[in-house]
Amino acid sequence: MTVLNYLPAGLAFALLQVALRFKEDGALAKRLKARDPNVMGELYDRYGRLAYSLIFRVVRNGAVAEDLVQETFLRVWNRAQSFDEQRGALGPWILTVARNRAIDHLRSTDGRMAAGALELDRLENPALFSNFEDSALSIDRARRLKDAFQKLTASQREVIELAYYEGLSQTEMAERLKQPLGTVKTWVRTALKTLREELAEAAA
Amino acid sequence: MKCDEIKDMLELYALGLLDPEEKREIDEHLRGACEPCNRGLKDALAMNAMVMGSVASAPPPRRLKRRVLAGVGIEPKRWGWLGLLATAAMVVVAMWLGVQERERSRDLADARQSILQITSERDRLEQALSYLDEPETKQVNFGGAPRPPRGKVFVNSRKGVLIVVSNLPKLPAGKAFEMWLIPKGGSPRPAGVFQPSRDGSGMNFISGPVDIASLGAVAVSIEPASGSNTPTEVIAVADTAGS
Repeated sequence: MTVLNYLPAGLAFALLQVALRFKEDGALAKRLKARDPNVMGELYDRYGRLAYSLIFRVVRNGAVAEDLVQETFLRVWNRAQSFDEQRGALGPWILTVARNRAIDHLRSTDGRMAAGALELDRLENPALFSNFEDSALSIDRARRLKDAFQKLTASQREVIELAYYEGLSQTEMAERLKQPLGTVKTWVRTALKTLREELAEAAA
Repeated sequence: MKCDEIKDMLELYALGLLDPEEKREIDEHLRGACEPCNRGLKDALAMNAMVMGSVASAPPPRRLKRRVLAGVGIEPKRWGWLGLLATAAMVVVAMWLGVQERERSRDLADARQSILQITSERDRLEQALSYLDEPETKQVNFGGAPRPPRGKVFVNSRKGVLIVVSNLPKLPAGKAFEMWLIPKGGSPRPAGVFQPSRDGSGMNFISGPVDIASLGAVAVSIEPASGSNTPTEVIAVADTAGS
């Protein structure tokens, strides 16, 4: 586990959850689909803290985060039937459901994009979260991601955070940052490209 | 759009952040079974998960696990002793509220006897029930069914929802009562199953903050003992929005 020594504690914890649990999740997913009453406790033990951390990062309110974690796991419980227990990745799916609940909450409280909820709903279809490359969620990639973040400029980091943790479209970012849309699009495109290329190198 | 342009946008697409026109183009392209772009979407989902998973760890409160399990209608195993406690609470609270009928004097005597036996547990109960005295706790009666169970709902925005009911119907074997929180204009959310005491009274408590403004009603139904995701046979409803 020497790789972990390079990572700050919180980051190491979170990435470990995503990267290392990936391969162990098949049995859990199978029991989830069979509605085994004991499985939710284990699923929570595995992903509850990560889901809470992500949601709390978005909504920055403990009470709201608790509600949304509860909603996240209820949604996972209710929709597990379409999850592919052979080739599916539970972690990415749960994280996506958790983020979408949090973003949906942000949008509803500040009156943005009322029609966005349906779109988010479609993008967390459990069937999407299968057939990842074996290396897609490797710990090496997790380490690379941290390095890649350090290569981003302050503006690039900011737009990435606005996209992932505040759910702003590029047009909304341009308004928020009082920058031309073209400039924002360049920041976003360059930042994503940097992250993507860094991860691709890890997979190679 | 060409594949190269699309690949640049797949992360934003998967995050639901594209403008409708861009989204529609990518939808169509992916439906066209472009293998490299569909593969690119998987990579984008994986990268998004990695980024989302890179947040600083924030430990959730311990009670959250119980809430999550109750949310899907599962009572954690370690509620065994709490079940006993809940039964005790049922009797204490039922008496405290005066919902016992006078003609059931014999039951009352039994209940008093029970209270004597559980005084040592009462301090713990008082903590759970302390919010009943708070001015902000909202109180609503059950009603509406032909022969309704009687009882009350206590809603406290910070602490949770407590129901205390009597006159519950007899349960068939393998069944339990289940409590539901019904948001205004939303679907009922399971809030825990409970068994009645011998005299047909019952109590259930779900802890955690409650959004009183969006709560429309609290209901009780008869369900399989492990609980259900949607109510089967509703026997009591309290309109928490109306009062």
